[in-house]
Amino acid sequence: MNVSQFVKEAGCTVFSEGEDRAIESGYCGDFLSNIISRATDACAWLTVMNNVNVAAVATLIDCACVLLCEGVAPDEAFAARAASLGIWVLGTKENVFEACKTVARICNV
Amino acid sequence: MEDCIRLEYDVDGENFASAGNASESVKRTLKQLGVSPEFVRKVAIAMYEGEINMVIHAHGGKALAEIYPDHIGIYLKDSGPGIADVDLAMKAGYSTATENIRSLGFGAGMGLPNMKKYSDEMTIETAVGVGTTVYLRVNF
Ligand SMILES: Nc1ncnc2c1ncn2[C@@H]1O[C@H](COP(=O)(O)OP(=O)(O)O)[C@@H](O)[C@H]1O
Ligand SMILES: [Mg+2]
Repeated sequence: MNVSQFVKEAGCTVFSEGEDRAIESGYCGDFLSNIISRATDACAWLTVMNNVNVAAVATLIDCACVLLCEGVAPDEAFAARAASLGIWVLGTKENVFEACKTVARICNV
Repeated sequence: MEDCIRLEYDVDGENFASAGNASESVKRTLKQLGVSPEFVRKVAIAMYEGEINMVIHAHGGKALAEIYPDHIGIYLKDSGPGIADVDLAMKAGYSTATENIRSLGFGAGMGLPNMKKYSDEMTIETAVGVGTTVYLRVNF
């Protein structure tokens, strides 16, 4: 399922937009070394990390979107970098476990 | 000297907002050159870890990438504190990163192991108080 459709069905907040690609898998994590080496292409990356480096790592791993959980919102530097790199950054109030279930259910991954 | 594409970057040690820019630029260039995604990913991982190490451990430095038809050579050169015990630093999970750095998502102690894992050749030249140069080679 494409990111834009996921946003509608899950009712997420949209902090920045990118290319409307399919979400093909998921990955949860906050340590950037783990994410960069283990997250799969076209994944939804679920994290509670809120800083500008998330945007850099998201581009390097080519994830379909970043989903910030537990009500986290990007700070100014993060939001600006995500917008300029063209990355989907979404937000949800759900915790990481609940958000995983939502991604799995809606995207069938 | 064999023809190659040379890309050079200043890696700012004070600015987390630009950390990863050099790796991102090299990644984009390789993609445009039609290098297969599998290799682009290896380069992106190895170089990003090296770039981040210069930012968080060494007050920044210089990154140089030389792209040849069959491989890429990456030099990450800093004038930071150097690494006293390279074998120890290479251990998975070993990190001297502060709590503040860890709160930014760095400091898992997986950087050097990842660089080793995702490159075909890695050498570290380092001297305490002088600096560190890491060479990474990824074959296409
Ligand atoms: N360029 C560097 N200059 C000085 N020390 C470094 C450098 N790169 C790595 N180190 C040292 O090696 C340790 C392990 O590095 P790494 O595996 O990347 O883990 P991390 O960066 O998460 O601490 C670091 O904590 C640091 O002490
Ligand atoms: Mg590191």
